[in-house]
Amino acid sequence: MELMTRTENWNITYRHALGETASYFYAQIRDKQQIYGRRDAKSGRVLVPPRAFSDETLEPTKEWVPVGPEGTIECFTIVYEAFNNLPDPPYAFGYVLLKGADTAIGGYFKGIDLKDGAKAAKQLAVGTPVITRFAKERVGDALDFWFELQG
Amino acid sequence: MAINRQVGVIGQAVYAPRNAAQASLEEGLYAVTHAALKNAGLTIEDIDGIVVAGHDQMDGRAITIMMASGSVGGVTRDILATPSGAEHAFVLGALRVRSGMYKTQLVVSWSPLETENINDVQRLANDPYYHRQLPLDDLASHALQANVLEHSIPKLRDAVIELTRQMRQNGVKAYPHYSPAPTEKVWIEGGKMLRYPLTQGMVSPAAFGAVALVLAGDEWLNEHKDHSTAFVHGMGWATETAYLGDRDLSQLTSLKAATQQAYVEAGITKPQFDLAEVADATAYQALMSLEGLGLCDRKNWVDAVFKGDFDHQGSMPVNLSGGASSFNPIFCSGLMRIAEAANQVRGCAGAHQKSNVKKSVAHGASGFAMQYNTVVVFGKQPREALK
Amino acid sequence: MKVPRVGIIGIGQSEFKARRPDANYPELVREAVTIAMKDCKRELDEIEAVVYSLAPDALLGIGNAERLGVDAVGARNKRFMRINTGGSTGISSLAAAHSHIAAGACDLVLVAGADKVGECGDSQTILNKIWDPVYERPLPLGTITMLAMSAVRYMHKYGMTEEDMAAIVVKNRAHAALNPKAHLRTPTTIEEVMHSRMISWPIKLFDSCPQSSGGCAMVLASEQYIKDNKLDAVWITGVAHCTESYFIGDRMGNGYIADHADSQAMGEACQRAYKMAGVIDPTKQIDVAELYSPFSNTEFHAIEGAGLAKLGQAPGMLKDGHFKLGGPTPVNPSGGVLCTNAIAVTAMVRVAETALQVWGRAGGHQVKGAKRGIASGNGGDHQFFGAMVVEA
Repeated sequence: MELMTRTENWNITYRHALGETASYFYAQIRDKQQIYGRRDAKSGRVLVPPRAFSDETLEPTKEWVPVGPEGTIECFTIVYEAFNNLPDPPYAFGYVLLKGADTAIGGYFKGIDLKDGAKAAKQLAVGTPVITRFAKERVGDALDFWFELQG
Repeated sequence: MAINRQVGVIGQAVYAPRNAAQASLEEGLYAVTHAALKNAGLTIEDIDGIVVAGHDQMDGRAITIMMASGSVGGVTRDILATPSGAEHAFVLGALRVRSGMYKTQLVVSWSPLETENINDVQRLANDPYYHRQLPLDDLASHALQANVLEHSIPKLRDAVIELTRQMRQNGVKAYPHYSPAPTEKVWIEGGKMLRYPLTQGMVSPAAFGAVALVLAGDEWLNEHKDHSTAFVHGMGWATETAYLGDRDLSQLTSLKAATQQAYVEAGITKPQFDLAEVADATAYQALMSLEGLGLCDRKNWVDAVFKGDFDHQGSMPVNLSGGASSFNPIFCSGLMRIAEAANQVRGCAGAHQKSNVKKSVAHGASGFAMQYNTVVVFGKQPREALK
Repeated sequence: MKVPRVGIIGIGQSEFKARRPDANYPELVREAVTIAMKDCKRELDEIEAVVYSLAPDALLGIGNAERLGVDAVGARNKRFMRINTGGSTGISSLAAAHSHIAAGACDLVLVAGADKVGECGDSQTILNKIWDPVYERPLPLGTITMLAMSAVRYMHKYGMTEEDMAAIVVKNRAHAALNPKAHLRTPTTIEEVMHSRMISWPIKLFDSCPQSSGGCAMVLASEQYIKDNKLDAVWITGVAHCTESYFIGDRMGNGYIADHADSQAMGEACQRAYKMAGVIDPTKQIDVAELYSPFSNTEFHAIEGAGLAKLGQAPGMLKDGHFKLGGPTPVNPSGGVLCTNAIAVTAMVRVAETALQVWGRAGGHQVKGAKRGIASGNGGDHQFFGAMVVEA
């Protein structure tokens, strides 16, 4: 008996509205190489990336707060496996608490030798200071910036 | 089987910005949530549970409840999602309140326009085994159903065009800013043929919208007897089989089943309502709804429409809100019908409020050729059985 | 207002495998339904409502795939709705079904679903699309990387090691070897786990759940129906859901409600479920736990979330044999998600397994004398948590 299969590909394009808050965030990165957070009026927490409202207090945020470029690593991982439509391994990324922020923002960690996982993990340990680097050509996108170890 | 607890709609809101791209989807959901809570006189702290309905592929998010959750107060709360249909979110919300485990429930659904390929998205619902290569999207499925109906009912098309005109006129009064169009017979029936026999004028283009309702149970309702409330008297929901070829598209046995569930619960033997808000992706659907609800047999469709029975001043107005024929946030339009029927009973329907509404019926349908059918009966007074 | 007990009268599980080329998706659902209906000796005609358990459509490659499952679950002209809360879908579906019955709307409800994760080209690609398109979509986030980062924080906070993680795999594989329904049933060693391919530091291949195909179905009934029909049943006495912020970065930094290292909302869900069930001290009153954990490290914070260990204590207690079959509180005697993960139903399987345990029907992986258990499900980016207490 012959068991058959059929192949299908999903290819749908979306144009997601970013709203004013995210648009401002990206414009500042593109034009001024500056990352901003928004302060939750109720809790006082500076949310990075910024949002128009806090999902914890459900209150609008007020006040743009410039953050970084220094920060500390809150968590990381190093990917060694190849996945379709994701970058070629190895690569490291994680979350960084930028100076002045109360929540961490995601980004790639570059400039580290990732061949030895255990060694690289020590270099990226929670609490490690990092500096934000910006691309020379920026378009207003999350990949316009990344983090490198300080010193 | 004892249905021993009340549930009522105590608040609602609709979000339909003129410029959809001005705010992110989450910001829109945040806005509609706040508006609904305000309408109910509650804060998010008063909400015990949330049910949302969004379509992953329309939203471009593989698990859309994830991003939406925060906007509707999900953090620290109990939130579930029913991607099968916006109407199902209402049903589950109502069941949760009636279970006695939740004092209140927030129900939110939305329909964005962030993909140009809505038709492609809809076509993905075709099984990959036999039917994926057919150009079968929602509109095509409505057209298939319309063709089957036209085949057996003379003059049906004329009645459908007239009913569309009536509903669009309602829409002009109810929500002029949605710009329901066209509203004249010659424009409705003319224009580009989209999917025979449906012309461009007979259907409404996809719109961006979000709708939120607040439900409350016995405890809250007893403490707020003066609050404008639409009590759920009966609720029913059922499904057809999926393969269109297995169905008689001129019939809706699932709607009959859902109607029976709702009417039994509501103690209705002879249905009589002050108005109906029914599924109307096309006016063919609206007529199928009215028959399924026991309000108009198909042999009377044409006469009833031209007599004006369903017009805004008729014996039983249909879609005073204008329906999806006027404003069509595709995925959540079923929940909008439920909201509109509830608003009428609550006396807060706005420009299209009918006077002295005591009982209304809502019907929502989702899926190809009305696969899912949901019926909700609302009343101004608490359900008879409990009095 | 007292909430009525809702009973579980039938359970059906596939034997989970990587691929099922012999069955298409609706057939896989039907397979589980048939087993469950046979289990409770009911006919599909009697079922009054169906709650359909289905996580992302994209993993199956069919939009609104539940529509295709209508006939597989005998739902034509019946009450039917589908639930999707990501990985917790299975337990959320049961919670929805529970509401159907507790509301007095139905006496007999079928919950069913299936998944064919092994047939989807690459689940991590799709699971990358669950992230927010505003900020985080360009990052290579997936469920593996997300939970690898949780491991990093848990290590930092409590000193967990990679060997500790491996010990979970060893325990669960040994359990799965006794469970004919499990997918990965080969026992393993710490050394073998440590030498398996690194996927996303510190998670290695053996630390990760498989991509499984198969179905699960359960039949729930009201107490009255069970009495009238003189049926054997076990009982859902507690059920609750709770949610964390979607933003992983908000679970770090300053002033957070939940730490990404822990499972705060899961703890909250369990506490609410325990309260409903009258459980005051889970360490004493819970005999068995089936806790959703797709990677070895997450089982630790799941155990702590379930109140079976204090924060950070689970790795040590595991070493003491606390959570293995034969120990004081066996966790995942079925092998857990680590050994079987058909995403759409995996959280339902947790409840099914807990039910089998307190029912005394768990066969080779039975926890002796188990009378009350806790089941949990996780969905989203470690965001949605469902908990259910099941007892004899």
